[in-house]
Amino acid sequence: GDVDAGEKVFAKCKACHAVGDGAKIRVGPHLNDLFGRIAGTADGFRYSPAMVKAGEDGLIWNDETLAAYLTAPRAFIKGNRMAFAGLKKDAEIDDILAYLATFSQSGNDDAASAEPAPADTPDTPNEDTAIAEAQPKADEPDDAVVEADAAAEPPAHGVFHLGRPATEAEIAAWDIDIRPDGAGLPVGSGTVLEGETVYTEQCAVCHGDFGEAIGRWPVLAGGYDTLTRERPVKTIGSYWPYLSTVYDYVRRAMPFGNARSLSDDDVYALTAYVLYLNDIVTDEAFELNQDNLATIRLPNEDGFIADDRHEEPHYAAGAEPCMNDCKPGKAEIAQHAAVLDVTPEGDGDEDGTGGGID
Amino acid sequence: ADDPAITEIQDWNRYAGPGVDAEPYGVPSPYEAHVVRRNVPWLTADPISSVNFTPLHELDGIITPNGLCFERHHAGIAEIDPAQHRLMINGMVDTPLVFTMADLMRFPRENHVYFLECAANSGMEWRGAQLNGCQYTHGMVHCVMYTGVKLRHLLEEAGIRAGAAWVMPEGADASAMSRSLPLEKALDDCLVAFKMNGEALRPGQGYPLRLVVPGWEGNLWVKWLRRLEIGDKPWQLREETSKYTDLLANGKARRFTWEMDVKSVITNPSPQAPVIHGRGRLVLAGLAWSGGGRISRVDVSIDGGRNWTTARLDGPSLPKALHRFYHAFDWDGSDLFLQSRAIDENGFVQPTKNALRAVRGENSIYHNNGIQTWHVAKDGVVENVEIS
Repeated sequence: GDVDAGEKVFAKCKACHAVGDGAKIRVGPHLNDLFGRIAGTADGFRYSPAMVKAGEDGLIWNDETLAAYLTAPRAFIKGNRMAFAGLKKDAEIDDILAYLATFSQSGNDDAASAEPAPADTPDTPNEDTAIAEAQPKADEPDDAVVEADAAAEPPAHGVFHLGRPATEAEIAAWDIDIRPDGAGLPVGSGTVLEGETVYTEQCAVCHGDFGEAIGRWPVLAGGYDTLTRERPVKTIGSYWPYLSTVYDYVRRAMPFGNARSLSDDDVYALTAYVLYLNDIVTDEAFELNQDNLATIRLPNEDGFIADDRHEEPHYAAGAEPCMNDCKPGKAEIAQHAAVLDVTPEGDGDEDGTGGGID
Repeated sequence: ADDPAITEIQDWNRYAGPGVDAEPYGVPSPYEAHVVRRNVPWLTADPISSVNFTPLHELDGIITPNGLCFERHHAGIAEIDPAQHRLMINGMVDTPLVFTMADLMRFPRENHVYFLECAANSGMEWRGAQLNGCQYTHGMVHCVMYTGVKLRHLLEEAGIRAGAAWVMPEGADASAMSRSLPLEKALDDCLVAFKMNGEALRPGQGYPLRLVVPGWEGNLWVKWLRRLEIGDKPWQLREETSKYTDLLANGKARRFTWEMDVKSVITNPSPQAPVIHGRGRLVLAGLAWSGGGRISRVDVSIDGGRNWTTARLDGPSLPKALHRFYHAFDWDGSDLFLQSRAIDENGFVQPTKNALRAVRGENSIYHNNGIQTWHVAKDGVVENVEIS
């Protein structure tokens, strides 16, 4: 395995895992001294019962076990919480193990010997090179195509005749957004019960088992009648105006760190489950699909108004502001800054009281 | 006494320094190592979806250096090979198009200086004074010169169909950042930018391509821009429904609050930049801006808003850009309550925080443009306070 290449592959992991000096627990455990570690034993991380049991049953992380786990995380340990589909290329797995081994005392032999892994040698080509050999044109950079077209007639569209028409497949690949009227919804379906399974595997690690959220990750359920309180809890049930937004956002951006990995049916099922968590549907057999999603109304749909800031009295007056003797008496301090030292050099114990920025 | 800085020969006066090949891309003096963006860990769940703040108290003029422009990411910094980057226009257009970066360079280019402010700037101060430093209370703003192409040229290249009213810019990052933007604004002054302050966008600012939406909240300035969809209705996306809507005291929330209001802050003195010279001449410096256009006037008060003096605006006065103001006076060594109040070319006057709270309550998070108060104690220490 190639350590440098492995560092690049690790980009897929670092939304959840830290490694190296000062690595902390994030969404997942830190990966220092991973080789030789008994599964489910990094200090302070809240593991799934499945991972803890795997460790108790004798699973120790090494080249072989990690390779098997990273190939198919959900199949290797059923019920574990890692929301990652897996690495499909052997070379990527070899590279990332070489990279991670540099942070382990015991290391792995492959990295220590600095010999190229079998997957890197020409006689065992990986999937990519096989495709490249079969279709040499497919991987050529775009500027080569531009050069080849230099003598061709410019396209007819527009004013400057720049760019090229998008193909239907290209538009289909990117145009997956959804509107409240249902425009853009794909054919598919999912039930509350199916959603619960996906949610437990993919979402509960951040959003909590019941949508109550872990740490400062978003709360998904509850919060009814809190919008006028001192600490409003803005959830899908209490605040979001449209259900289509849930489908659109989950489909395009969730789970965090592994976007675009859910199937359209999974997203219908998750959206149905979030409705269930918010008591908007109560039947576990309820099925959400392309025909009924846009008919479901969220409780706070009418809770939004247009921007009328300019009608506020301090703006509407439009008067020349006071310059002298504008207030009686001397200024007295009514409140000091709540957080006196927010710099990283501070003692770090202070916490805000005024809410975050979400 | 004689000053040894003068009477003794210094190392830099005797020995030759590093050559021109020492720093192919220059870096600030090691004595400026404290001038950095900082974050506040407890504000967000994870630094990958978080914000850092521009050190306004260390800067002057109106241009923010690229490496100090605050960042807000929703799934970390997308690392994009520009040769693999594409911009697609689809939806209600005659010809859906795909542009490479090289294609975009062949459109007419423009240069404009604009401020970019996060709608949540000063959002932590709604319930009272909280963070001690203008870097934290006001540092989600920066101002650079953008080089780019008018969005109008790109949309007209594809041909906008009758009935179109909205544009959805979409980022290529893992948060799929996207918003609904009225077509009228898109055709007015928006840019698709690839340079800032003359050099390529920094990765944290959307390299290789970002949207520029002058005067409007930063969340609309989609980074890593890869797609523009044209439609007849807004999409009601996560970032314009569950976020970036302003909850009022009565439980209703304003939506599509795009424009940034008239605002100012005194950057020096401020909590991270105390007065260290004692009584006598004191130069107060600050920034003012408005999403509505130019700043026409800034007033300052040293007695907590009892009496005001008009400050001196200096440097270029450009629409929807930061403006620099100064006010010099002789400090008598007594307690000061410093405030600034900006007025824009449309006559909008920056309100007090209490005036905003009276109308909106304390749960809005976004669009807090209230007047900031700094208390300067007799020893020159400065604190963020709220006053009577």
